[in-house]
Amino acid sequence: MMNDQSVRLDRMRFTKNTTSSRLVLLAIVLDALYFVSLYRINLDYYYNMMMGASILYNLVFMLAAFLASEGVKNYKQSFSGVLCVLGVIQIARIFILPVPAHQTTVTVGGAELLAMNNGQFTCAVIYLVGSAACLFIAAVVNFTKSRALKAHIAGLEGQKA
Amino acid sequence: MAQLSLQHIDKIYDNNVQAVYDFNIDIADGELIVLVGPSGCGKSTTLRMVAGLEDISNGHLLLDGKDITRAAAKDRDMAMVFQNYALYGHMTIYENMAFSLMLRKEDPNVIHKKVLAAADILGLTTQLNKKPSQLSGGQRQRVAMGRSIVRNPKVFLFDEPLSNLDAKLRGATRREILLLHKRLNATMMYVTHDQTEALTLADRIVCMSMGHVQQIGTPLELYDSPNNTFVAGFIGLPPMNFFDVNFENGVLHGKGFDVQLSDEEKATLASYNRKAITLGVRPEDIVEGGDLPVKVFSNENLGMNTLVHGHMGDNIRVTAKLRGWTDYKNGDTVKLGFKRKHFFDKETTNAIRKGDR
Repeated sequence: MMNDQSVRLDRMRFTKNTTSSRLVLLAIVLDALYFVSLYRINLDYYYNMMMGASILYNLVFMLAAFLASEGVKNYKQSFSGVLCVLGVIQIARIFILPVPAHQTTVTVGGAELLAMNNGQFTCAVIYLVGSAACLFIAAVVNFTKSRALKAHIAGLEGQKA
Repeated sequence: MAQLSLQHIDKIYDNNVQAVYDFNIDIADGELIVLVGPSGCGKSTTLRMVAGLEDISNGHLLLDGKDITRAAAKDRDMAMVFQNYALYGHMTIYENMAFSLMLRKEDPNVIHKKVLAAADILGLTTQLNKKPSQLSGGQRQRVAMGRSIVRNPKVFLFDEPLSNLDAKLRGATRREILLLHKRLNATMMYVTHDQTEALTLADRIVCMSMGHVQQIGTPLELYDSPNNTFVAGFIGLPPMNFFDVNFENGVLHGKGFDVQLSDEEKATLASYNRKAITLGVRPEDIVEGGDLPVKVFSNENLGMNTLVHGHMGDNIRVTAKLRGWTDYKNGDTVKLGFKRKHFFDKETTNAIRKGDR
């Protein structure tokens, strides 16, 4: 007779890891919001090589994160590592564009303005931190669940043998 | 406990077409009732009315004494298995089976236990992570049954569940349904146009034609004592042979042939002297060695039996199912006899039984 804990584990043999998968999808949405919010800053600052690089990185991020979301859905442990790397990069991105833009002034119509004002900076940081948090939590949840599932399946196979 | 009672049920569509006339039956707890009849006879309509998928025009439907005539389908505590399985292609077998319970927001652990138990009953444990497209027709039908089982409904309804399967698979799945019925001891209504399914599965059969119930009885009653020529012709394969005859002084006179009757048969037809009746003889009740010459035009060997088709008298067609292997050629004449006879009133088509009239 299985107790509730072992039933919960056994359920994972047939159900998807939707928690991790949905968190990763939420991370993609937050990343998209961050990317869209960039176009609200004073664009003169953004019109440089950085713009092409950030577009390219966003495409790569979305693709990698989506693949990882499918991976964690099926309790693939290795994708936890991928999510952690993506999460670290999301945090690092705060220092690549928002922080410098928040410290730089540009001349717009003869007036000196911050390339990214306080409100825009706060939003950008929230989006990136939120996205990274989702990725980290998804990674931890997936790692924990996939390890537990692995042990459970090994136990079942041991019983059979 | 699930007793189902259909009382004077009619189905009249908006265009005034009546599909079902005065349907009455009391189904006992754990009974398997099979509705059988040709296409368009109203059997599926009756089942859909019971399920709540069609409105009941007149009459009452009672489940355990409670009137559910106007109750919504979801409130009837019945599960229906369809001919086309109706599985969700994007879900796994586990998810398909668990879906209805998830909609009811049952505890996931409880759902899990129910799904595993149903899968175990149906032999689907190793298939739970697959998609329906990866399963055979028989397995898909078992999933559809499993989806019903997990709900633990009071009544199971089957609408021609085996029609999409090939002959071999149909036989195997039919046996599974029978075992399932014995194991669950659940009340079941089963619709089919296949009389073999009806005879092998049913506790009682309801034979329908043109929206009317022709006879309700055990498989043996329908086979052995059909109420009328329709039931007699529908139940049994190959169908019963019918001959127009006149009963006169203890002898049946057909077109170009005579049939002698036993004393008991004469007594049965006592009130039909000098009247036209219909004589019915099942192919398996025709034996070699009688006094009726039959000119053979076809000989079909089935292994254990042989179907012999021929003409007797004034070109009256007759089919006999003879035991063993015979090799009659087209044009051969064989002498046959009638072992067991059924008599029907020519006007009403009803069976003539001892003591009638």
